[in-house]
Amino acid sequence: MPDNKLKIGIYELTGCAGDALLIFDCEEELVNIFKAANIEAFLMAKSDNNDEIELDVALVEGSVSTEKELRELIEIRKRSKALIAIGICAGLGGMQANFSNDEAWAKNFKAVYGEAEFIHSKALPSKPVGDFVKVDYYLPGCPIGKEQFLSTFARLLAGNPPELFRFPVCMECKWHENDCLLNKNIFCMGPLTAAGCGAVCVNHNLPCVGCWGPSEEANRTAEYRLLLEKGFDPALIKNKMANFSGTRIFEFFAQFKGDKK
Amino acid sequence: MKKIVIEHIARVEGNGGVTATIDGNVVTDVKFTVNEGPRLVERLTLGKTPEEDVNLVPRICAICTLSHKYAAIRAMEKALNVKVGPKVKLLRELMHLGEMVESHALHVFYLALPDYVGFPNAIAMASKFPLEVKIALEMKQFGNHIMKTTSGRYIHGENPVIGGFGKFPSRDELVWIKSRAIQFMPFVMKTVKLFAELPYPDIPESETLYACCNPPDKKYGIVGDEIILSTGDIIDVQDYKRLTNEFIVSHSFCKRSQYKGKPYSVGALARVNCLGERLEGEARKMYKKYFNARWTKNPLFNNAAQALELAYSFERIPEVIEEALMLPDESIIPYGQKNGKGAGAVEAPRGTLFHAYEVTKGLVSHADIITPTAQNAEDIERYCYITAQKLLESGQEEKIKDRMDLVIRSFDPCISCSVHTVQVRRAPEEDWKTKIAKIKTDVSPVIVGIGSAGHSDDGAGLELARRLRSQGVKDVWIEDETLEKTADWEMDERRPLLFVDAVDFGERPGKITIIPLQHAAWNAVLSHRLLPLVTHRISFDQLKNSYILGIQPASLEDGEQMSEPVLLAMEQILERLKN
Repeated sequence: MPDNKLKIGIYELTGCAGDALLIFDCEEELVNIFKAANIEAFLMAKSDNNDEIELDVALVEGSVSTEKELRELIEIRKRSKALIAIGICAGLGGMQANFSNDEAWAKNFKAVYGEAEFIHSKALPSKPVGDFVKVDYYLPGCPIGKEQFLSTFARLLAGNPPELFRFPVCMECKWHENDCLLNKNIFCMGPLTAAGCGAVCVNHNLPCVGCWGPSEEANRTAEYRLLLEKGFDPALIKNKMANFSGTRIFEFFAQFKGDKK
Repeated sequence: MKKIVIEHIARVEGNGGVTATIDGNVVTDVKFTVNEGPRLVERLTLGKTPEEDVNLVPRICAICTLSHKYAAIRAMEKALNVKVGPKVKLLRELMHLGEMVESHALHVFYLALPDYVGFPNAIAMASKFPLEVKIALEMKQFGNHIMKTTSGRYIHGENPVIGGFGKFPSRDELVWIKSRAIQFMPFVMKTVKLFAELPYPDIPESETLYACCNPPDKKYGIVGDEIILSTGDIIDVQDYKRLTNEFIVSHSFCKRSQYKGKPYSVGALARVNCLGERLEGEARKMYKKYFNARWTKNPLFNNAAQALELAYSFERIPEVIEEALMLPDESIIPYGQKNGKGAGAVEAPRGTLFHAYEVTKGLVSHADIITPTAQNAEDIERYCYITAQKLLESGQEEKIKDRMDLVIRSFDPCISCSVHTVQVRRAPEEDWKTKIAKIKTDVSPVIVGIGSAGHSDDGAGLELARRLRSQGVKDVWIEDETLEKTADWEMDERRPLLFVDAVDFGERPGKITIIPLQHAAWNAVLSHRLLPLVTHRISFDQLKNSYILGIQPASLEDGEQMSEPVLLAMEQILERLKN
């Protein structure tokens, strides 16, 4: 009997493997995930991986950080109908893409490894997957959220595209009836950060750190000005905005070059 | 020559590989490679606040996330002189135990067990071991639950901060965890029995050094301000560099460590070796029942040690909660100090993890993070070498790949913090020429001809050295084993040594191979006569860069005449070495 199940591959490039682990952490659902679709590749979970098969969906975690990974990514894209970047490393470059440009990265690479030459693979400045191949969908998060992953997985099985939150953490924060920390002059990244975590930090009396990356709908320029007015140090504002946003954020900062401290 | 390549070591967290190169019946090269791209984490925390650092660094690794968090917090609190109260300490221990349970349960049942029962993965294993797979899943889920309750999330929870916690778990949540831990005990004891009694093969047995945190009050535990070694040496965590001595190898993005020139292991097996006598309760009974000499030298027993630590953890969790419930919640300790320096160490599930920082004017000015896998990398390579060499010698070449895979996985390497694959390959025919050329471009080596005169081909090294001398090559030493006294060669520590010797590696007579001297140090069988010559006379750096150039002899019988193929090989070597 022909098998009509979706063929899915889960791949890890450079990162903490947290998004793959999150999938692994769907304990109760894991057996069903393996039943409902053909998981053709998932290095963390299985050793009989098929690295040649044509896939319906490839889930890719991590940033492109070596030439070898770049070759792998291009090869994965070629045999996949759809590619989903999972987590901020694949989607934005992740915290490791926090050097302002390739020269700054090269300088820091040298500071860690000196003049050592590597024979196994050439290192590259970390870049998001979308810089090299077409990304059909992006699941934000550091790591991705279980609810958002499972709903995406279920929609994929039904042949539907993922449906994601476009609003910032503040929305979820209000649902939890938290007091606004910015009103208490505590530096919170909530207004700038993509929702999906359930405002977990604020629920723990702590400010949002921005780990889900930028929210599409956020007005970053206005927020930056507001934070300055509140008296926060511009260097701190930029660092906090940059920590989980990838290299692209530095293009955004360029407009504030003339600002005095 | 032949290469065994494990391109992706499946069922480990992260991305790494091992390549073993074989020539005849000797392993000429083993490389453990971390393919994971470099992320330069220590650099990107520079200029950030201590709080941002504590947010960022757990992202080094999803599975050790809380160990990274905890080590960073310990280092920062040391640097900034923050002293937390007893309840914070207890809840940090609880979150850390949660990670230990989650990680060990995942590793022993899901990543390691399928190898021993012959399944490609845990899901497939479920058909034959449904109960084990289900309860293991529950155990892992329980660990996750503790992590979520204490840290705020399964992965990368932000609730633990410098000075305390954003929010304390409620009494009800803690009581539930306590009672659930107690309910698990019968299955935990079965887990210890299962993993302590698995048929771990003898190869790769070999002695090593073990290191772990030395918990206070002579207790078993997973944090400490000191490091204890299986030699009995104690090192203050602030002096961690005395243990780790990091260096770079060209075939991996993961830095390496050795203690006093020797590889050492960290992890559950290291902890059980260093601290096992301190175990209490049921864990102690199991330790007394199962611990034996094989645990001290076989890395595969790491799985048994992990199971034993599950018992420790499940017994410790209720104690921690009982103590914590007696104490009031503590608010986050504020601090005003803007400058300072400190190191913190914790036992991550896979071994000792160090974080060290310097804070200047409120911002991170120096960061140093040393992960367990970085420390284990040298020993992983050494054990892979021993595995490949011993299997080759005993005619079990076909087992090399799988066995190396097993060895690597037993270390529970967390390669995102710094590992996927095993390769076995035959060395290319002219490999020695390439390597000699490389050695010579760096710095000219000191050549030592070795052998015994009057035993036909065994005199090859001696004869070759004599010929090199007569051709005007400098720094050539002759080490004739038939003489009582060893030659008094001069040593320049910066120059590598190149031993020329007849080596029986099971190939056609006259074939030439090049073997790292390190392998001779790991494997007495390979060249028993070299060991006394090198062990006390050369430094570790020199050992790492030195080689044995071996010629396959046709005969080692008494006699002066060397065989034709060996004479031809000598000509070739002479040609390469003379300028």
